[in-house]
Amino acid sequence: MKSSADVVVVGAGVIGAATGYYLAKNGLKVLVIERDFPCAGSTGRCIGGIRAQFSHDLTIRVMMESVRMFRGLSDELGEDVEWYSGGYLFLAFDEKRKQAFLDAIAIQKRYGLDVRFVSPDECEKIAPGLDPTGLIGGAHCPTDGQANPFKVTYGYLEGIKRLGGRLVVGCGVRHVNQLGDRVVSVTDAKGDEYACNMVLNAAGCWADEVGQMAGVKIPVTADRHESLVTEAVERVFDPMLVDYRSDGCYFVQHSGTGHFIGCYTPVPLVPGHNVDATDEFITEMPRRMVRLVPRLAGVKVLRQWAGSYEMSPDGNPICGGTPLRGFYVSGGMSGHGFMFGPALGKLMAEQMVDGRASIPLDEFYLSRSFGKAEAMK
Amino acid sequence: MVVCRCEEVSEAEVRRVIRMGYHSLEAVKRVLRTGMGHCQGRGCLRLIARLIQEETGIPASEQKLPRPRPPLKPLPLGLLRDYRDEE
Repeated sequence: MKSSADVVVVGAGVIGAATGYYLAKNGLKVLVIERDFPCAGSTGRCIGGIRAQFSHDLTIRVMMESVRMFRGLSDELGEDVEWYSGGYLFLAFDEKRKQAFLDAIAIQKRYGLDVRFVSPDECEKIAPGLDPTGLIGGAHCPTDGQANPFKVTYGYLEGIKRLGGRLVVGCGVRHVNQLGDRVVSVTDAKGDEYACNMVLNAAGCWADEVGQMAGVKIPVTADRHESLVTEAVERVFDPMLVDYRSDGCYFVQHSGTGHFIGCYTPVPLVPGHNVDATDEFITEMPRRMVRLVPRLAGVKVLRQWAGSYEMSPDGNPICGGTPLRGFYVSGGMSGHGFMFGPALGKLMAEQMVDGRASIPLDEFYLSRSFGKAEAMK
Repeated sequence: MVVCRCEEVSEAEVRRVIRMGYHSLEAVKRVLRTGMGHCQGRGCLRLIARLIQEETGIPASEQKLPRPRPPLKPLPLGLLRDYRDEE
């Protein structure tokens, strides 16, 4: 037995880092074990958007809490996480999409979100340079925003170390060891064993593999998404633009540097852990971006890359306990792990310490039916 | 000394990050953006590999290079779009 901790967190992406930090703040001794290096998975490949515009009640509530936490996160962590409240503008090009946005706005307003449906003219004012051809309006929330996924994750990890916790990198977990019906330790790939009372599976796209080590099925699968980033240019507009058409895309200008960064969801989806970049994306994404904002035609692309969405069956997170006592999961973020990070980190820490989160997470439990899909994936 | 000109990263910053436990070119890249700018690492990667060697003892020749990411040389969105249209 090499060492012990109250909690072993598997994975140093934003979910493991944030949850580990709030567990450490609750006085627990935290050990984070990362197979590769921090942000090596989905967190380090995401484009940094943060929004509360969703259709599911619990997601809206948790994300509003996350936005509130992002506002104060630089002070909390002592690290500028580059939070910027530039808003999100979802574009509607047909009546069906408009109605879906109106339905979602009605739910969002119940929780006090500052959101409204705006006309094409207003869309152009919010995003100067937007080509309004075919546009019938948009859903706009000015309090949505962006931050830097690396800064946020490193900030949390350094915070864990300050609070007496540890981070072990370059060696994954191989076994979750149980005695009777509960977790007692984990063993890593080198054969080192760490005694613990609790394990948090925050392995992102690999959550099911880690779950299998504990005999727990976690219904998470990986889907490839590709992204690109342009050179930095003078400020063009503030919001993340989201075009949900089947050949749409979403992109945002980074508030501090001026880079444009964006991606699209491929049709059909591309399952698996492959993170190769494709020729199709590097030519198709520019077409979609320039169609929306023609004045970007001269802006140069610096690089393209790919990463995985860790999809759950209904597009909502999977958070909470499992049939194995002491074994917890926070995963299945379905493309929203970074923005969920602060709030789900805090709430999961409450769940693990007190047995109940201040915003109850029941609808995210592994034991749910996964019947109601998120409409604003 | 400036190690990465595109992202304006100094030798001291790179050494600080390696000492924090980021022991590979990929890991340092994600913290400091070295290799993510206009030159895509052509200017800085060898220097950083040497700094990693000095700080950790991992020989530069044994360090894994970051995955190359197109387009390698910056190209305008409009040009890439037209390439698609001509296909």
